[in-house]
Amino acid sequence: MHTPDPDAFSLDINDPADAELIEYFLGELPERVDAIEAAFSNDDYEALGRVAHQLKGAAPGFGFPAIGNEAGKLEQQISSICDPTEEIEAIRSQVDSLVSLCNSFINPS
Amino acid sequence: MTELQLNPDTSGTPTVLLIDDSQFVHRLLDARLRSESIVLRGAEDGKRGIQMALEDPPALILLDLDMPVMDGFETLRALKDDPRTRDVPVIVLSGMNSSQDKVAAFDLGAIDFVTKPFELTELRARVRSSLKLYALLQMLAQKAQIDGLSGLFNRQYFDDRFKTEFERTIRHGQSLSIAMIDIDHFKSINDTYGHPAGDSVITDLAKLIGHESRSIDISCRYGGEEFALIMPETEPDQALQLCERIRMKCEQINWSRHPSRSVTISIGIVGMNDGQRINSTPEAWIEAADRNLYDAKQTGRNQVRATGIDGSPIQLSKAS
Repeated sequence: MHTPDPDAFSLDINDPADAELIEYFLGELPERVDAIEAAFSNDDYEALGRVAHQLKGAAPGFGFPAIGNEAGKLEQQISSICDPTEEIEAIRSQVDSLVSLCNSFINPS
Repeated sequence: MTELQLNPDTSGTPTVLLIDDSQFVHRLLDARLRSESIVLRGAEDGKRGIQMALEDPPALILLDLDMPVMDGFETLRALKDDPRTRDVPVIVLSGMNSSQDKVAAFDLGAIDFVTKPFELTELRARVRSSLKLYALLQMLAQKAQIDGLSGLFNRQYFDDRFKTEFERTIRHGQSLSIAMIDIDHFKSINDTYGHPAGDSVITDLAKLIGHESRSIDISCRYGGEEFALIMPETEPDQALQLCERIRMKCEQINWSRHPSRSVTISIGIVGMNDGQRINSTPEAWIEAADRNLYDAKQTGRNQVRATGIDGSPIQLSKAS
């Protein structure tokens, strides 16, 4: 499994181009969080895997390698099990940690 | 003018087409490749990507492997199957870093492979190197068809192209003419005024032929002081008028290196009228045009001789 080097994706909030990317990503993130929660509650594991896959690939480029990591774990979990209903608890817990990580960036305390 | 068609503007900004279903990736690459001298266009699925590539072939395609409906492999296969998009280099992007995928992508004709999340400096370097390779390949392909001195198509291109035009003509029952053009007493120009003078006769005559012929004509340098002109959908009497004009204009050129010495050309034409069906071969056509050229030389040079491929003589009509 390829794990991104966090240093390779660090963005600079003082750089206008970087700031624009960060702002765009944070602006899109609530919609993705909603999509994750909706897919999970509808047992739509294909949609869930898709959002996770996209976040895994993209988040590091926008300066959020941690989100990429958690999304990658979720994608891995979904793709490696045959019957998601049997491992629903493990998936729920990974969905929760991904969602709360995203929310911590969306609503910083 | 034939020469102009040969040299499409390669100095323009190259277009890169990104095919990826994720808006994030579009946004990210749009920002990260902004500093490169490229125009980035985007498609969000394989079908649309193929369509865009056909409408306006890009210099490079960045293709995501993992897309719903039509995945990257399928898209790549379709791009490589179509002669119009086959030569466009494709860099495959994938979140799955498996060597199996890489091998499959390379087998299908991808030029490079980049894993997500992107290392942006690496992606930029790979984009740059693919664009460079593409530009060089295009230049090479073009050079291979062009005669260096005259800028017209070369002999090899003439042979291939005439065969194609010949077969097309037979298939559609259309008219076709070819002309062999030879500079009179070229050796004595070289001997008297030097080879640079001879070279400038070749280049200026090439310009004249390119200028006087129509956009559908294919002008080539056939050999030393000999040129060949393919005139698709042209009956031999029309070809005769066109070549007569070239012959006259050549005679009138004022040569800066030898103002007192004019240069003349002899031309042999062979052709076939619309709907005429005559069994023949490309080789027989060239032999017939050469025979007419020889005839023009034997009977005093500085003239055009034309016949149909059936041997019927063609005369310049009084009206012209």
